[in-house]
Amino acid sequence: MSTLRLITTGGALAYRALFNWTSPTMYAGTLLAGPTFQLLFFAYLGRQLRVADDGFFIVGNAVLAASSACVFGGTMAVANERRYGTLGHVLLSPRSRTAIFWGRVLPYAGNGLLIAAFTLTAGSLLLGLRIPLAALPGLGLALAAGSLACGFFGLTLGALGLRFRDVWVVSNVAVAVLLLLTGVNVPRGELPQWMIGVGHVLPITHAAEAARLLAAGRGLGAAAPALLAELLVGAGYAIVAAALLKTFEAESRRRASLETL
Amino acid sequence: MRTLLIGTLMHAKHMSRSPFEVSLALVIPVVQATMAVHLFRAGQEPHRLLEAAVGAGLMGVWSSVLFGSGGAIQNQRWQGTLEMIIMAPRRPVTVLLPITAATAITGTYAMLATLLWGRLLYGIPLDLARPYAFLAATLACVAGLGMFGLLLASTFVLLRNANALANPLEYPIWLLSGMLVPISVLPSWTVPIAAVLPTTWGARAVREATVGGPVWPSIGICLAIGTGCLLLGAYCLTSFERRARAAATLALS
Repeated sequence: MSTLRLITTGGALAYRALFNWTSPTMYAGTLLAGPTFQLLFFAYLGRQLRVADDGFFIVGNAVLAASSACVFGGTMAVANERRYGTLGHVLLSPRSRTAIFWGRVLPYAGNGLLIAAFTLTAGSLLLGLRIPLAALPGLGLALAAGSLACGFFGLTLGALGLRFRDVWVVSNVAVAVLLLLTGVNVPRGELPQWMIGVGHVLPITHAAEAARLLAAGRGLGAAAPALLAELLVGAGYAIVAAALLKTFEAESRRRASLETL
Repeated sequence: MRTLLIGTLMHAKHMSRSPFEVSLALVIPVVQATMAVHLFRAGQEPHRLLEAAVGAGLMGVWSSVLFGSGGAIQNQRWQGTLEMIIMAPRRPVTVLLPITAATAITGTYAMLATLLWGRLLYGIPLDLARPYAFLAATLACVAGLGMFGLLLASTFVLLRNANALANPLEYPIWLLSGMLVPISVLPSWTVPIAAVLPTTWGARAVREATVGGPVWPSIGICLAIGTGCLLLGAYCLTSFERRARAAATLALS
């Protein structure tokens, strides 16, 4: 019970403390308007090139909309502690660091889910995509799985912040790479084999595939393998993040480089 | 003029010392170009790959200007140097324009990178219809974007988190300016908006130099609108600077 409290309450407190730079206007501009414009850009580009129909881009970009908030959020969960000079206090805690940092991903994943749902709604209304009502619960699951996987992916990048000084370069590049390799905008069959291979182990790829199947009315049964794959990718990043945090924490203590900026 | 030239050189050097700026400038345009090339290939339009590479390059130039302009004020605030540059015995426009001009000039790397990337990795022939006009169009586009950046930066004097406001402006300008998506596929109500953006005419000039067409009128309109942005930006900058001084909010971060 106390571990659960650490994960939920601790995560919520850290979210409020580390996400303090935002305001309602900035939130709407950066996290709601930005992804919607991105969706429109690729939908119109897709229309012009006749690569795929609007649904392909609307659903794919809606799933991807969570990535900025979740990847940067997961990174912030570690990197901003260092920036604000509070990382030492967190690492002095007698509780499990793994539980502390995993808990921090949850609010960002929730935020990502909200953004993805907004983008899907806005994209569908603006471009006239009809999604079967029966598909909505499954779509919610797919968006949640994608957000969670992205959050743990961001935490993995944030863990690198204990070792490297400028982790934001890695996060920015990672978000751009997700745009290319997850098959959200370029159909995966059109990508070279090695890009498809890398895409398999990135978050969003399988969630987008599941969401497209669900939006096409194929049902949860058809989307289940892709959903499971996305959850496995997320779990994999959660484990990698925990291992990296443990390793880099030990190294930072040994080299006295914990709060070096 | 001397202030502008030295200021631009200094800010360009300053940006080149930032690993963050350099890393992103190196990687993001290449990712965008790769995506554009694969999308155009998927659309069975391989003959337009050069257009895709050029369009991705223009997108990179705009991103550089947008985030550079958004950060022009905010970075000075964070570094504690905003008061000093505002106190300089020059018009505010002459100390701020070099920052946005430097972002536009460093943004030209995106164009070079995407063309080189397309040539080396995807074998896209650089068969520019009018090579000299392409150079002129690119320079005019960069100048136009730099002046447009000043107008953006001037409005950001009053805002504490201008860089966050810049975030959602990236895709709309890419879309409205026809950098990769022709304006003809957009809803008709977007046409008047696109027509008053220097980015639209800059992108059109570069595209016409790439595939053939009347380049010079587009260059002229791009520079004319850019000059309008420069004058409006200079006026806004002076006006907003006075308001920020009066309200004692100049350096608030």
